[in-house]
Amino acid sequence: MKQHPLCTDTEHAPNVMEMNVPPGLKQEWAELQTRRHFLGRTGKVLGWAAMASLLGSRAMKGDAHAGANGPYGAQAGGPLKLPHFAPKAKRAIYLFMSGGPSQVDLWDYKPNLAALYDKDIPDSVRGAQQLTGMTSGQARFPVAPSHWAFKRYGETGTFVSDLLPYTGRMVDDLAIIKSTNTEAINHEPAIMLMNTGNMNAGKPCLGSWLAYGLGSMNDNLPTFMVLQSKLNTKENNQPVSSRLWSSGFLSSEYAGVGLRSAGDPVLYLTDPDGVDREVRRTMLDAVNEINRRTYEELGDPETNARIAQYEMAYRMQTSVPELADLSKEPKSTWDLYGPEAKEPGTFAYNCLMARRLAERGVRFTQVYKRGWDMHDNVTGILPIICGETDRGCYALVTDLKQRGLLDDTLVVWAGEFGRTVYSQGGLSKENYGRDHHPRCYTTWMTGGGVRTGITYGETDDYSYNVVKDPVTVRDFNATLLHCLGIDHNKLTYKFQGLDQKLTGPVPASVVPGLLA
Amino acid sequence: MLVDRFLPKSRTTRRKWMAALLLSLALVLLPWVVKLDGKPHAEWEHFLGRFHMLALHLPIGLLLLIPVLEVAGKKRSALREAAGFVLALAFASCLLAMMLGYLLAHGGGDSGPVLTRHMAGGIALTIAALLCLLARPWWAGSDVPHVYPALLTCTLLVLVWTAHQGGTLTHGSNYLTQYMPVGLKRWSGLAETPTTGSFYAKRINPIFDANCVACHGEGKIKGGLRLDSYESLMNGGQDGPVIFAGQPERSLLLTRVTLPPGHKQLMPAEGKPPLSAEQIAWIRAWIQQGASQTAATLAGISLREEQAELPLTPVGDYSALMPEIRQMEQAQGAKVKPVSSKPEDGLILFTVDASSSFGDADLEKLQKFAPYIVEAELGRTAVTNASFDTLKQFTHLRALHLEETRVTGLGLAKLAPLTQLTYLNLSGTQVTAASVAPLSGMKNLRHVYLYNTPAEPAPGTEPAQPAARSAP
Repeated sequence: MKQHPLCTDTEHAPNVMEMNVPPGLKQEWAELQTRRHFLGRTGKVLGWAAMASLLGSRAMKGDAHAGANGPYGAQAGGPLKLPHFAPKAKRAIYLFMSGGPSQVDLWDYKPNLAALYDKDIPDSVRGAQQLTGMTSGQARFPVAPSHWAFKRYGETGTFVSDLLPYTGRMVDDLAIIKSTNTEAINHEPAIMLMNTGNMNAGKPCLGSWLAYGLGSMNDNLPTFMVLQSKLNTKENNQPVSSRLWSSGFLSSEYAGVGLRSAGDPVLYLTDPDGVDREVRRTMLDAVNEINRRTYEELGDPETNARIAQYEMAYRMQTSVPELADLSKEPKSTWDLYGPEAKEPGTFAYNCLMARRLAERGVRFTQVYKRGWDMHDNVTGILPIICGETDRGCYALVTDLKQRGLLDDTLVVWAGEFGRTVYSQGGLSKENYGRDHHPRCYTTWMTGGGVRTGITYGETDDYSYNVVKDPVTVRDFNATLLHCLGIDHNKLTYKFQGLDQKLTGPVPASVVPGLLA
Repeated sequence: MLVDRFLPKSRTTRRKWMAALLLSLALVLLPWVVKLDGKPHAEWEHFLGRFHMLALHLPIGLLLLIPVLEVAGKKRSALREAAGFVLALAFASCLLAMMLGYLLAHGGGDSGPVLTRHMAGGIALTIAALLCLLARPWWAGSDVPHVYPALLTCTLLVLVWTAHQGGTLTHGSNYLTQYMPVGLKRWSGLAETPTTGSFYAKRINPIFDANCVACHGEGKIKGGLRLDSYESLMNGGQDGPVIFAGQPERSLLLTRVTLPPGHKQLMPAEGKPPLSAEQIAWIRAWIQQGASQTAATLAGISLREEQAELPLTPVGDYSALMPEIRQMEQAQGAKVKPVSSKPEDGLILFTVDASSSFGDADLEKLQKFAPYIVEAELGRTAVTNASFDTLKQFTHLRALHLEETRVTGLGLAKLAPLTQLTYLNLSGTQVTAASVAPLSGMKNLRHVYLYNTPAEPAPGTEPAQPAARSAP
């Protein structure tokens, strides 16, 4: 067998006759190698070969699209014919609030809870909901009313917590979903479910599906970019791993490309001293040639992905510095985003960056903000994290709107679950903790395709169960895809014998009430 | 003697007439004996009554068939024989449908003028069909040639009238005319008077009109409640007032529309779609804030009119041009991509890859594809005012991005032929209030963005242009 050119292992195949095994086994081996045996096996091989050619290459490869679409994904003209219908939004920005923001303290206004302070929530409300190990042993589940007051904002008079004064100013432009609910109760499965439609790792995330389905609008930047915000060590930061922007079984070209929050936005992107752009080009040409030959020999589509990534990195050597250069931003930008936005890696900076990526035709930008996981000391931590994120969210939506980008950009704000109305640990008038709560949590979206100025869904008096218009994670994702012109049932990829899709095998439906 | 001919000849015929007379009398007296008092009665009546909807179509079909059979029977006598049989059947089905209808109204506790008219029509129709049945033998025997045709004509007229009353009961009085072309409406005098400006007229009354008045209106007055006018709404029904101004919790109307799905008392009843959350919110806020007939706005509720999107005009099929487009993409670096899998949705021009080098000359090279391009992203390119001469040929253009280019707006008037254009982004350019003035003549151009330009309206003033609309 011919060796792979990059493989240094040059051993020959083992010969049984030279091995240190009992002579009886050698005899048995020799007898197996009879002429009849040889002819029989040859016949079978020929049969399989004939069948393979009869069935055609598609049947054997499992999926004919794999890696065959180049940088343009499967968009119209390609085999998947995307978008399926004229989209309202061409790109999306997803502000991911990792850890599970408390809907009780931010959005889901329940003034009646004040009277129920320290009373146990009724078993009839709690129902059969499984609790996490952190509170399942608690003897009591005392109601912890929100420490903060709520005010009406905007023409719609929507109640928003005093913790989000900036967000409050733009409620008329949002579709607030109070009835989002998930099946997962712990961070990793829940965050995987939100991002990939499956609690187990290995499936492509929303951004990868979009990159695969819609392709690039700008070849000089990745189709899907991920911005992580700097950690605040006071907060309880749950890990966020690269599987959340993994392309799963899709070609790795469609994986998200992260920008770092400090130092070089992309590591090793700048040429080292003594290497100029021409040298870099010559080197890349040579590497590409080797890769091309490897592809011809082995036919692994991932080799093409590798070539494409090298080329993308080369183009990013000029596009990323231009992207990160904020010197030309007018003063009005800093007035809007606040002084924090000048510091790379802050949430406000990432929001500004998300706007710049949208302007530059990046299909999907996901901004992660960790630290919403508040099992104790809600009154100590929640104001801090709201202060870090509130103005950025407002600035981003307002900025997109004034620049005319909100017409065709979808903006989403969501975490992986909500928080319990009952206190985890000790409850006092001054402080309390809240455990994970999957049955209802609040998210919002705005921009292209979204019906704004509405509150969708209702929860019960305890902000514990959805009583009207539930939106499951599947429905949520199906709706996002719809805004981008995609029928979630038709954006599929054949893998392991299934037509895989973002919304999974359980039926999902677009939520018409959220659409413009 | 004429009278002789009318008098029943045989004993059997006489008996038939007697029976018919008795039956007619019973039918006429029915509304006085079993009164429709607007209160629900036995459930079995309601159960059987529901089959009225099923049975009522039989007499309609059969009665309409009779004149056809009679006329066609001139040539083919077999059909005329059949007509007699069909008439008997029609009468039987009339009687059945009428009885079921009566059970429905009595069991369900329905009342109201339209219902009364429908009931009277049903009884009249049954009697008319019976008379037809009795008069037909004279006509067949050519004794009295005109009575039966006249009776049959009357029967059919009664049928049409009764059926219309019934339709009005189930679908509401404006069902047939709701989607009538406006011109025809005006001609027929049905044009709606423009709604007055109050919140009640704009938002609350239309909810009742669409969802409630079929049962709580002029035609049917279930539970004694009418919702077709402000006065009758405030008067309430048999259980007293349904609206308590300022007290949504006490207002029965709100309670009944917010019951859990499947609840027996949930309104709108009987499988009709429930009110939307938004409609309920409007009603609640309206009651909360005084349930006024005249207040124009309510705190917390937006009266923003939904702007209907301009319907998309399909562009031609560009598939044949795709090879040329690919060539152009290779040579120029600009991208022309389909909006969707449907060719009639057109193409989008992306230039972000090549933005700094893409100029007026490059745009001119795209003329061949111009009629298929519905959106042109020219932001941050090197195009200038000269591009307007090329752009005016993009006849299907809906969105045009010129942000942060060197255009100054001189010659924007050349875009006037682009009637499809709804979006124009001039942010970050040097356009002035004077140079964008010609845009005000383009009536479909709803979204004009002038952020960071000399033309940007000062904060706090109302923009003269439809700039930066309030919501996407």
